[in-house]
Amino acid sequence: MSQDPSSINGGSAVAMIGKDCLAIACDLRLGSQSLGVSNDFEKIFNYGPNVFLALCGLGTDVITLNEVFRYKTNLYKYKEERTIEPETFANLVSSSLYERRFGPYFVSPIVGGINSKTGKPFICSFDLIGCIDFTKDFAVAGTATDQLYGMCESLYEPNLEPEDLFETISQALLNAVDRDALSGWGAVVYLITKDKVVKRLLKTRQD
Amino acid sequence: MSSDYSNIKDSAPIEHRFNPYSDNGGTILGIAGEDFAVLAGDTRHTTGYSINSRYEPKVFDVGDNIIMSANGFSADGNSLITNFKTNLQWYHFNNNEEKLKISSAARLIQHLLYGKRFFPYYVHTIIAGLDENGKGAVYSFDPVGSYEREQCRAGGAAASLIMPFLDNQVNFKNQANQPLRYLSLNEVLSLVKDAFSSATERHIHVGDYLEILIVTKEGVRTELYPLKRD
Amino acid sequence: MNSIANRLACAGSERAAIHDQSFFSNFSTNNLAASLSPSIALPPISQPTKFLRANTDDSVNPDVKIKIAHGTTTLAFRFQGGIVVAVDSRATAGSWIASQTVKKVIEINPFLLGTMAGGAADCQFWETWLGTQCRLHELRNKERISVAAASKILSNLVYNYKGMGLSMGTMICGYTKKEGPTIYYVDSDGTRLNGDLFCVGSGQTFAYGVLDSNYKWELSVDEALQLGKRSILAATHRDAYSGGSINLYHVTEKGWKYYGNHDVGPLFWETKQAEGSFNNVVT
Repeated sequence: MSQDPSSINGGSAVAMIGKDCLAIACDLRLGSQSLGVSNDFEKIFNYGPNVFLALCGLGTDVITLNEVFRYKTNLYKYKEERTIEPETFANLVSSSLYERRFGPYFVSPIVGGINSKTGKPFICSFDLIGCIDFTKDFAVAGTATDQLYGMCESLYEPNLEPEDLFETISQALLNAVDRDALSGWGAVVYLITKDKVVKRLLKTRQD
Repeated sequence: MSSDYSNIKDSAPIEHRFNPYSDNGGTILGIAGEDFAVLAGDTRHTTGYSINSRYEPKVFDVGDNIIMSANGFSADGNSLITNFKTNLQWYHFNNNEEKLKISSAARLIQHLLYGKRFFPYYVHTIIAGLDENGKGAVYSFDPVGSYEREQCRAGGAAASLIMPFLDNQVNFKNQANQPLRYLSLNEVLSLVKDAFSSATERHIHVGDYLEILIVTKEGVRTELYPLKRD
Repeated sequence: MNSIANRLACAGSERAAIHDQSFFSNFSTNNLAASLSPSIALPPISQPTKFLRANTDDSVNPDVKIKIAHGTTTLAFRFQGGIVVAVDSRATAGSWIASQTVKKVIEINPFLLGTMAGGAADCQFWETWLGTQCRLHELRNKERISVAAASKILSNLVYNYKGMGLSMGTMICGYTKKEGPTIYYVDSDGTRLNGDLFCVGSGQTFAYGVLDSNYKWELSVDEALQLGKRSILAATHRDAYSGGSINLYHVTEKGWKYYGNHDVGPLFWETKQAEGSFNNVVT
């Protein structure tokens, strides 16, 4: 079979914007080609009260990049004496990825968060060398990208209340990964509002 | 006695890759209801990034209340459908105009496709109609003729975008407290339109027009809707 | 023109021809095969097999245009009460799940089952073809075909196509008076093996793991069905290319009986709850 680094381990993620809120979700599978290895591999990381990063792609790069961004956001906090804003973090992700332009990390990241000054929800996605795709509705990544686009494009509507947004993103992710052999094995959703972050585990098919 | 030319020819063969296939994009979608079935397809015809035609129908009424589409490489698709129609004609001649059952049509198509097992038709085929009990039926085929009767099936370029949506909305997958039921024709038509406008939004090989063929016991009816042209 | 059109065009004379041929060449499977199977078109080039591999084999070329469904777990085993056959129902093309509702047990006739792994069309087509061959055997010999003979018709057929890219891994399961419950493993390389227990497909190792550790000849029918189902469940869990639902069959001297379609979605959680197993999964 193919040896494409970005689809050895599998996994998918999606983010959506609602009314003064956002949701970001991912599956929990980490595999080695056809073999399921872990069902506890979260792809969403947190760098401040409401800055989230989903990393899909090659497992080793997901782990490494999380460490890199933890290091960089900690330094930022010490220098600036405040936590990083999602827009700023998006640019940090972009420049960090472009530093490896000719030997890239095999990841497709999504950044999601709420700006602490303006209270506006923000999401964006990237290619593996850091080109930012700003979007005002939803962003998708991973081995179930096509399926997620189809689901999001048909289920999504703007200005959803948090609970409706949760239902929408959950259905989008669940039905998308159920059509992808390399994603699934559990899922997790983060519902982010200005003053609260709720994490929910979804019960999914285990095949 | 070999000539100089044949020596040169044999020692330095010129390699020509035999490449008989191309991909003409497009997507098709079939859904079976309780007493009806629909088969829809967009009408955009492409090669690579070029649009060859904005209206090139690919879903056909092939007779005996059966509708058929073979999506993928359109030359192969057209050839398959022509072949099917010819076979249907012969069937009528030899069997006193007897109507071909949809299950028999499916088996015939398997043989047409498998007949080219070692030089396949590059198509994803779907047929729709009514079964012997008047229930809606959709059959889908892989390029070399394996087939299955299904409740719904998307095929072609944007199948991966549409199929999970259908799982969710037609078979109510991942909706724990939603019992299985037949959808009405109006519900099905609005799902088809949603599916295609979504696919058009995210897939460059899908767009222009949506042509829906509907089979009921009254016969085949066609509806045409515009899709985005960008 | 293809053979179906020809046959439809002159159904009467064609039928007579088939009869004549079978009368004179009773034991020649080859000629019979040729007369009943379609003529299969070849690409008009010097090396058709090379062409086919380049265009359909995804291990040679990952972005081939024609993707043929692969990925499966199937098993069959013999025990005191007959044969249990269990299969999953997923069809994949690359990582895309093309279907979760494939029928991977082919009901050749009321006494014979064939399983499907590898090319879906190859298995479906040739095993239904095998059904017609078995029926012809019955008509000619006034007795049901043995499992050994049926499986050999298939293995000889695929051997004729060796190197052409047929892909099948199948178990022919049946029960006859003289043989008892019998399983033959037949694959597209031409291998044909008689045995008590087989698992075939990308998830075979996972199924073997469960099956081998719990199998004994003395199993009751209920236990055997449960074990078959449980082994496939284990495989659907670990193997990305297996899943969907489980189809169960039991074969006895009275023929086969279908024991239902079991969706892996709910079945997994029921099994985990009942056995306290699958402790690698939370919730």
